[in-house]
Amino acid sequence: MSTSNTAVANKIEIKNLTVNYTENRKSFNALNDVSFGVGRGEFVSVIGASGCGKSTLLSVLEGLYSPAGGTVQIDGKELHGTGTERGVVFQHYSLFPWMTTRKNIEFGIKQARHGVKRSERTRIADEFLHKVGLDGFGSKYPSQLSGGMQQRAAIARALAMDTEILLMDEPFSAIDAKNRVVLQELLLSLWEGDGKEERKTVVFVTHDIDEAILLSDKIVVLTAHPGTVNEIVQVPFERPRNRSALVGTEEYGKFRNRLLGLLYNDIRERIGGDEVVL
Amino acid sequence: MTWKKRFLRVTHLLFIILLLVQLLPDRSTKEVFTGKLVTFATGVEVVTLLASFIIKKPQSLSLLLDIVGFVYVLLTVWSLATAKYNVLNDMLFPAPGKVINQFVEDRQKILINIRSSVGITIQGFLLAAVTAIPLGLFIGWSARVGGAATYITKFFSSIPPIVYIPYGIALLPTFRSVSVFVIFLATFWPVFAGTMSGVLGVDKKIIDSAKVLNVSKPEMLFSVILPASLQQIFLGCNQGLSVSFILLTSAEMIGARDGMGYYVKYYSDFGDYTRTITGLLVIGFVVIAVTFLFNKLQNYLLRWKR
Ligand SMILES: Nc1ncnc2c1ncn2[C@@H]1O[C@H](COP(=O)(O)OP(=O)(O)OP(=O)(O)O)[C@@H](O)[C@H]1O
Ligand SMILES: [Mg+2]
Repeated sequence: MSTSNTAVANKIEIKNLTVNYTENRKSFNALNDVSFGVGRGEFVSVIGASGCGKSTLLSVLEGLYSPAGGTVQIDGKELHGTGTERGVVFQHYSLFPWMTTRKNIEFGIKQARHGVKRSERTRIADEFLHKVGLDGFGSKYPSQLSGGMQQRAAIARALAMDTEILLMDEPFSAIDAKNRVVLQELLLSLWEGDGKEERKTVVFVTHDIDEAILLSDKIVVLTAHPGTVNEIVQVPFERPRNRSALVGTEEYGKFRNRLLGLLYNDIRERIGGDEVVL
Repeated sequence: MTWKKRFLRVTHLLFIILLLVQLLPDRSTKEVFTGKLVTFATGVEVVTLLASFIIKKPQSLSLLLDIVGFVYVLLTVWSLATAKYNVLNDMLFPAPGKVINQFVEDRQKILINIRSSVGITIQGFLLAAVTAIPLGLFIGWSARVGGAATYITKFFSSIPPIVYIPYGIALLPTFRSVSVFVIFLATFWPVFAGTMSGVLGVDKKIIDSAKVLNVSKPEMLFSVILPASLQQIFLGCNQGLSVSFILLTSAEMIGARDGMGYYVKYYSDFGDYTRTITGLLVIGFVVIAVTFLFNKLQNYLLRWKR
């Protein structure tokens, strides 16, 4: 099936990734020797302190930035540039502000699924607007929607494009706490689906530990300066998941503390004190 | 809107004041055509009242009433200063009724001249828009990092466009083509500069969103960069448009056989100040009308902005 030599080939294989930025003629090492795999249909979150290179990692996966070293393989083939087999949701401006939400989704479908007729595109767009709870908002412009609704629409577009891979960079961090919870649950239920369809492969960046635990199969914890993989943790909770059933349990508290420790140690080491609040 | 909000407005009081002022005795030695003024003002008032029934948006109604109110005040002060108290030289400053009368008499001639002026402006303007916008998009996109193009544009847009007129006259066969050429050049630079700065200012996040959707190069330019920089492009167009009309009327004063500038210059040379003032007012209203329509277009195309 692929040239990968792992037993079960990963959908995404990141190997020894090194990324540099050049600013004022000085090279800055943002990611250093990052390696991990994302299985087919796996939901992987990337967490880490601000500035540790989470967005940098995702921009490489999106094909927007080229690494200085290492490779990214998708289905065993090395990644070069952008591609519509990957659906992307950014924190801001995923949608074009001059297009209505429906037009935005139709545009995504047109780019990703060649040969889908115009009337069909409209039908699919409305179907996904319905799925994310935006019935009746198809002819609104993004500026007429709340931040949460804009992210719903962005998710609708990414899903309507029907890509095998979804890349999301802190899609909910600009949303107020209450709506964030609602959106997390929406994403969870859409991604888990009814078990009949194959799940999408997701790389999800966040700095919200609870969000990462609720959604992911696996969490990659990054350390900063330069960004390296601190630890890769499997999330031990069964699916389908339910926030309220999960959050109160002892196992959840323990697991959460362990992750917190991984993040906290990193920050304490760097700042050199104990007075750090996350 | 309530009945009161619709019809109980200061503008209508200003209309009544204008009418009352007309009851004062005339002191001017010249004919003043008070009847024509009253007919005109009443016509405006009737149209305004009809519009007050129809208009739905409170802001639009307020805008209309403000403009009409301004016209009433202008006419009141003007007729007081001329027909009623004759404080201005009635040779140089005709009464408003006289100007209205002149406008009606000359309406055919004026219409032809407006058509000529507006036609030339639109032609030069469109020519500039269809060249400057794609070029600005293309060069702006290619030079999103480098700043040289901005300075070059600044250099050219700092040249007063009137300088181009002698070159136009030397190079081009007819006055019309010279005018179109001058307006083209005068509009080109601000539109080009506006487009460039628009492109340079497009948020990187929007461009990234487009890139991850694998848009083609033409799509990137015309479906992404163009709408994203539209506001700046309009800023440049507005600048170009206001320069072009001033420029055209001045050019027409120099060497034309048609146009509103020609009309004003021709009659002022003869000392026919009624026609001169009529012409100047017509130019003013044409500029207002063009600006209004252009703003409508702009608001429509930018309706997605909050
Ligand atoms: N275009 C760039 N040019 C230069 N340096 C950059 C650039 N983008 C990011 N960096 C630097 O690289 C490091 C990693 O940035 P990155 O945006 O990937 O962090 P992050 O983990 O996503 O942070 P946050 O949680 O705040 O979003 C930071 O130190 C940042 O200052
Ligand atoms: Mg980031």
